[in-house]
Amino acid sequence: MPIEVILPKVDMDMDDGIITEWKVAPGDRVRQGQILFDIETNKSVMEVESPGTGVIRDLAPITGEPIAVGTVVGWIDADAEVGASSPAAAERAKTPSSSATKEDAVGHAATSATPAASVEAATVSPSDSIRATPLARRAARMLDVNLAGVTGSGPAGRIVEKDVAAHAGRAPKSAVAGADRLVPFNPVRRIVAQRLAESARSAPHFFVSAQIDMGALQAALRHPGAPQSPERPRPSITVALAYLAGRVLALHPLLNASIEGDAVRLHARVNIGVAIDDQGDLFVPVLRDVPTHTLDDLAREFARLRAAVRARDIVPDDMRGGTFTISNLGMYGVDAFTAIINPPESAILAIGRTADTPVGRDGQVVLRPMATFTLSSDHRIVDGVTAARFVADLREAIEHPEGLS
Amino acid sequence: MAIAPGSRTAAQAPERPELAALGDDALRVALSRMQLIRKFEEAAEASYMRGLIHGTMHLSIGQEASAVGSTLELARDDYILSTHRGHGHCIAKGADPARMFAEFFGKENGYCRGRGGSMHIADVEGGNLGANGIVAGGLPIAVGVGMSIKAQKQHRVCMVFFGDGAANEGAFHESLNMASIWRLPIVFVCENNKYGMSMDIARAMAVANVADRAPAYAMPGVAVDGNDLPAVVAAARPAIERARQGGGPTLLECKTYRLRGHSKSDRNLYRSKEEIEAWRDKDAIRRLERELVAHGRFAEDELLAIEQAAQKTIDDAVDFAKASPDPDPAQLARDVYAD
Amino acid sequence: MPTELVVPEAGTRELSYAEAIREGLAQAMQADERVFLFGEDVGVYGGAFGVSGDLFHKFGPERVIDTPISELGIAGAAVGAAITGMKPVLELQFSDFVTLAMEQIVNQAAKIHFMFGGKATVPMVVRLPGGSGTGAAAQHSQSLEAWFAHVPGLKVVQPSTPHDAKGLLLAAIDDPNPVLIFEHKLLYKTRGPVPEEAYRVPIGKAAVRRPGRDLTIVGSSIMAIRAAAAAARLATEDIDAEVIDLRSLRPIDLSTIATSVRKTHRLLIVYEGVKIMGIGAEISAMIAESDAFDFLDAPIARLGGADVPLPYNPVLEKAAVPQEDDIVAAARRLVREGRA
Repeated sequence: MPIEVILPKVDMDMDDGIITEWKVAPGDRVRQGQILFDIETNKSVMEVESPGTGVIRDLAPITGEPIAVGTVVGWIDADAEVGASSPAAAERAKTPSSSATKEDAVGHAATSATPAASVEAATVSPSDSIRATPLARRAARMLDVNLAGVTGSGPAGRIVEKDVAAHAGRAPKSAVAGADRLVPFNPVRRIVAQRLAESARSAPHFFVSAQIDMGALQAALRHPGAPQSPERPRPSITVALAYLAGRVLALHPLLNASIEGDAVRLHARVNIGVAIDDQGDLFVPVLRDVPTHTLDDLAREFARLRAAVRARDIVPDDMRGGTFTISNLGMYGVDAFTAIINPPESAILAIGRTADTPVGRDGQVVLRPMATFTLSSDHRIVDGVTAARFVADLREAIEHPEGLS
Repeated sequence: MAIAPGSRTAAQAPERPELAALGDDALRVALSRMQLIRKFEEAAEASYMRGLIHGTMHLSIGQEASAVGSTLELARDDYILSTHRGHGHCIAKGADPARMFAEFFGKENGYCRGRGGSMHIADVEGGNLGANGIVAGGLPIAVGVGMSIKAQKQHRVCMVFFGDGAANEGAFHESLNMASIWRLPIVFVCENNKYGMSMDIARAMAVANVADRAPAYAMPGVAVDGNDLPAVVAAARPAIERARQGGGPTLLECKTYRLRGHSKSDRNLYRSKEEIEAWRDKDAIRRLERELVAHGRFAEDELLAIEQAAQKTIDDAVDFAKASPDPDPAQLARDVYAD
Repeated sequence: MPTELVVPEAGTRELSYAEAIREGLAQAMQADERVFLFGEDVGVYGGAFGVSGDLFHKFGPERVIDTPISELGIAGAAVGAAITGMKPVLELQFSDFVTLAMEQIVNQAAKIHFMFGGKATVPMVVRLPGGSGTGAAAQHSQSLEAWFAHVPGLKVVQPSTPHDAKGLLLAAIDDPNPVLIFEHKLLYKTRGPVPEEAYRVPIGKAAVRRPGRDLTIVGSSIMAIRAAAAAARLATEDIDAEVIDLRSLRPIDLSTIATSVRKTHRLLIVYEGVKIMGIGAEISAMIAESDAFDFLDAPIARLGGADVPLPYNPVLEKAAVPQEDDIVAAARRLVREGRA
């Protein structure tokens, strides 16, 4: 029975070694314990002893290449059969060469040592070179404050939270000690407070909700008819919803109406107000005559209105004459909410966030991007079925937005 | 088939007392264990050379008689504490080679669930409180075990193994001193194999024998040929009894030799091939077998059967280990703290 | 997670920190014959800091054992006794001497349960008097708790009050893991209410000693005491500090600290161990990695031991570790100027 001579593991962490010298020749008689060859590891050169007594043959050639631990590098015939062929040749042909992978690993290690600084450099934007505390940055996000416009009161001009709060005209969260602060209403706040209080008082609100599949609308908006540009901004979901709501409202006049004494004024045009929060103040600029415009027109107009709000030079005319309002809080992670009607309108549509939700379709549970829409209506004018029908038609329009251009 | 002592021929010399004191059953057990250790170590070495064992190993080939002889007359609920070169002690105390191999291969059903490896094997239920990767690490622990035995009024004995190198650690001196002042039931067994890692004991130790240090700690010190199984048993017996009867600790020095290097990275540059060869001829197993046959205690074929049974046990153990599952990396932090 | 504001009930009698530990030891040894105390001079002498007192006379030489000066040996003995069914409480005379016992605590006690695949447990307690302020100088005044909080398998606690000294000791004796209790030498004589029955203070829970809104001051051992005193002074300047006493370093109650920082937006960590590479560094990093990061309105500030061996001269000795004045000044700087 031939005895295998293997390349042994002689060191911790050793996967392979190089035979540097055979001390015997094929056909030699060898004794158990006799040194057969020298093996070089990454640490040292060691001698390897014979595992048995007999005649040795089929010695692996010295190539200077590493051989994996456990590979057969020779055979000893204990019955001294000189010259018999062996399976050794076939074995050696299968020896994997591990040198390539080792070098690759080294090469990769070298390239991955490139510092992450270059990655950071690529993503540096102007706001990153502003000094601001984490709390200040958070406040800026929540209050929609541009840090570039804030003066910092901290060391080396660092912006702290109270600087952001002051900029937004709000009470700071991080102010230290002292008495309560009394912050008077600014003009916007005063008007909003008055109108909403009146609406809540006089209009009996009721609410109809629906979960609507936004998938088709999202897909349609991803592929606008023509390329985007500053003159041709991509329509947002909110604008698209205004566009669709406008067309549906044309079929449901009671939702596009105002109460006047004992009568209902059904408006000829559909003017949709879109609620915007800017630095903590509520604005509702109005998109006029929505059903007569294309989606692109509406997107352009909305961009103009929004810029005017930010710059605080929006004119009252831009905010007058609305007949219906939509409010989208989805971008804040709100699932659903009920809004208060913007008087003298008769309804308002509240939109929650779109999230992948399990729904049943054709007997299967699938994940669809669903959003919850809640219509608040004035029950003096609008009845349940009226509201429900509107919502049903709205759903149909959103889930099948054919011809959205 | 064993031949009864009475049927010796006139030509055979009388048995020396150390051998005569051992019955056939005890000898059978001793030989089995020594063969098991030898085959175990050889198989461990072969597995290592094939790249199946991570890390390194410290083999005790050549030291079987000292491990088996010292522990032969311990009870199952006596304790042992072992060293990094402790596979032999572990097997001598009755550990299952299959679970030991599983541990070497880092498998989940090894003695330590693959977390300890060769140097930290423990079989707590079997009274083996662990091999130790720190030289002299087990000595202070043995003191605590001795204190525990006394406090709980048990009649157990704690046998702690250590090497000649450990005898120069501070822990050795602190432990022998405390064991002595408190009369703890400990047997200190030094396996003096002449070398620390590469340092010859003659260059490392101020006295010639480790046992010479015993009087400094007011305990008996006995040196014995560690490769002579009956002599080791005879030397350990009174030490174990003394401890069990409340007489306090003993220091037993087994003079032996390790045929392999310190660990698998050892190139044996610090000793000559002639020295290694000379000790190989004093092989404890061969010596004992020759003596047993010469005195008619056992026949050759029975000895061969014992050897082959040991080989089979080991072969099965390796197969078991190879087939065992690996630990789940998600369980990495398990058992850092006890609940 | 609610944090407790721990105030022992009115009418509880007062004990010193040392007496509280002694009472805890006595109650533990009374209740469980596996518990024993050993260490240098703990028996007849009553302990170098008088903690064991008359326990030797109450429980005898087999339960309160004087050892030779052999820190490595006795630490290992604690391990051996613990793994064979006893519950040893080892007193190391000065925490600085733990250096001689490192091998058995770090390589053995901490790792045996893990290395043996969960098969053995090491229910031992090591009590270590540490800290500076007694003129004992460099080799007898250190605060080394961070070293051990860094070792998986060990638990580390630091009581600041007599109430907690007894409660944490009893919890440590109950714990199946090795627990190191770093007592502070300057606290042994401080007095406070201690309930008579045997109670436990949970390991791994911090205590909010004083609620506040303007900043969070975290400290342990004597620094928790100094922080509370500093907070009282800061209140007169309209700075309302929340003071958290860590009590445990490992496991550490990150949740209580993070909740506090989310509320106050400013964090000051005070510790006696050398500042660099110490527990304050770890807590700062933990908070920076947590969701409390977004609520920070100033850099995290640390006050730690100076980067020197503890000096002998009393003025220098005080200057080498944070004092109450330092805490007040640092809190002011953090709150009014936003600087660490």
